[in-house]
Amino acid sequence: MAKIERVKSRLLREAVAENVDLIEGRWRRRSHGRGAMARALARGAWLLALPVGLLASAGGNVPPAVTAVTASAGPTVLTSSPTLQVPHPTAPAFEQPAAVAPVVYPPPQPVDPQALPLAVHTVVIDPGHGGTNRGTGIPGGLVEKNITLDIGERLAALLREAGFRVVMTRNRDESVSLEQRAEIANHAAGDIFLSVHVNWIPTRGTRGVETYYLGPTDDPELTRLAARENQESGYSLADMRKILDGIYADVRQDESRRLAGEIEHNLFGALRKVNPHLDDRGVKRAPFVVLVATDMPAVLAEVSCLSNPKEAKLLGDEDYRQYIAFALYDGIQAYADSTQRPTIAERSGKG
Amino acid sequence: MSEKSDKSEIIYLGIDLGTSRSSVSASNGQRHVIESFVGWPADMVAKKVLKREVLIGHEALENRTLLDLYRPLERGLMKEGSEKDTAAVKALLQELIRHAGAEQGGEGRRVRAVVGVPAEALRVNKQQLRSAMRGLVSSLMIVSEPFAVAYGMEELLHAMIIDIGAGTADFCVMMGRFPGEEDQRTLDTAGDAIDEQLAKLVAARYPRARFSIHMVRRWKEEHGFVGEPKNPVKVSAPIDGRPTELDITDEMRAACESILPPAIETMIDLLARVEPEFQEKVRHNIVLSGGTALISGLGEAFEEALAEFGGGNVQVVTDPIFVGSDGGLAIALDAPEEDWEKLPA
Repeated sequence: MAKIERVKSRLLREAVAENVDLIEGRWRRRSHGRGAMARALARGAWLLALPVGLLASAGGNVPPAVTAVTASAGPTVLTSSPTLQVPHPTAPAFEQPAAVAPVVYPPPQPVDPQALPLAVHTVVIDPGHGGTNRGTGIPGGLVEKNITLDIGERLAALLREAGFRVVMTRNRDESVSLEQRAEIANHAAGDIFLSVHVNWIPTRGTRGVETYYLGPTDDPELTRLAARENQESGYSLADMRKILDGIYADVRQDESRRLAGEIEHNLFGALRKVNPHLDDRGVKRAPFVVLVATDMPAVLAEVSCLSNPKEAKLLGDEDYRQYIAFALYDGIQAYADSTQRPTIAERSGKG
Repeated sequence: MSEKSDKSEIIYLGIDLGTSRSSVSASNGQRHVIESFVGWPADMVAKKVLKREVLIGHEALENRTLLDLYRPLERGLMKEGSEKDTAAVKALLQELIRHAGAEQGGEGRRVRAVVGVPAEALRVNKQQLRSAMRGLVSSLMIVSEPFAVAYGMEELLHAMIIDIGAGTADFCVMMGRFPGEEDQRTLDTAGDAIDEQLAKLVAARYPRARFSIHMVRRWKEEHGFVGEPKNPVKVSAPIDGRPTELDITDEMRAACESILPPAIETMIDLLARVEPEFQEKVRHNIVLSGGTALISGLGEAFEEALAEFGGGNVQVVTDPIFVGSDGGLAIALDAPEEDWEKLPA
């Protein structure tokens, strides 16, 4: 009896805390001991058990499978090997049953953007690479990890001046894993996440900016790029594809695409003034691990192309890096402004 | 400094806002349920006939031909975008509070309410609800509906609540901690989906029969079942103006069973997320609540599905209409005074 009273007391405290957060406009994300990455991947692992078609391409160990086959009118037929336990998505492979059956999942539902939080307070800036992970670079010259940190710091200063709260995933030349970066962003309850990177495109003469949000891609070039950026994650791209297939309907997807659009638009618009031959390589989807585990709208911007000698020269110029920071700031500001949506009265023409 | 409180001056409410029905349980012993419909007279003639500014619940349904009728809760949440819908939710809440004898103001009385919302309600939905409750109560706490059910039934450890209403089916695993997003699911295939399916099937079989969705809902509530039929289901509807008996046994079964696949799939999915050593306990402690839980054979259908996974017990609550509001009231009464002071409406 005492135990249930203790449980009730704890539950009440948490219910009250959640309501206080709501009243005060704080955004608490509830976690029960597992990291955000673990949750995202657990979700993905479960989804790995979905269509046979996907499994066919997965190869290797088959993840858990407990599925219901839908019948249009008759009673539900559950198909699976009889087992005493439903497999836990994070349980080791030996606990999982071998039988696999197809399952028909409903298509992802579109998300009403009005249902998302209306204000941007906290911006998480993630300067790509760092420490032993140098990123791309020119032998004996510029290195990506230093450029991204420099631009990140410049951007942070601009955002702070404008009243945003800014959290950096690293402030110095240090190694920070992709999982840690996401944890930092989630722990800080960031409203948006921007990972800053510099591109390397072997095709001679290519230059430009591009902005990514989370999603799978069939483009082999993007696949290679994602593999390069994800190399420290420990997950294979094949795994990632299947994880991503399951989170298309994530509420962040539409907002991430919108944020990516604002950033790309401002990056290209601002930089082509000083770099007239710049290409607008557009907004793209790619499976970057760092975007999987973050709970907020998240994008990755390739702000320049270090493989292009002219852009490399520009990147060596402090003023150009400041331009980039300004452009990123404008993109974030435009996104933040656009989230201040009209009231119901205004929308119905009565405001 | 906080105002000194005397619990006798305070009325506590548990409110279950449902798409189809809404219920209230009050600390003064009052319990009421009303249909979640609000209607305003459609024109001056209707206003003169009805002699009322607004009609709520059963009255609104009965007089629907004279009204602009609103069902302001969609999938258990306030619809957004229409001032009328917002006003309708406020009117509905006001009516529930009035029924419970808990209107504010009289002799400095204060009202503290716990309102249940679908498990996956978003922050904006909760903020809208807060706005609608402003002025109606002094303090407000919003919790997920299945959590309120679990709390009221003291099923807080190793249990799963499946709360199937009209607009949503809410699933929540209780592991002795406040349920997070990974512990809860909301489906929008629930009682309303059955009504729509049944209407389609009956229309297909009896194309000349005339009936409304309200009639279909009543048929479901009176005769709904899954599994093998115990008796033929016969209802009456006009064909060419003549009341005619229709056998809708097969259609009723098909419509009611249409919600099972997604519901069972979700139940299994949530079970799979429970730590393996506790899965058996949870499987044997599943609680089925909500108005749609009254469909005959539903609990057995879930148990049948669980048989594939080692078996389980599904308990259908005896009072599904009030179990959510009773749970809300239990939370309201248990919450300490100092916590309520942090939750102004």
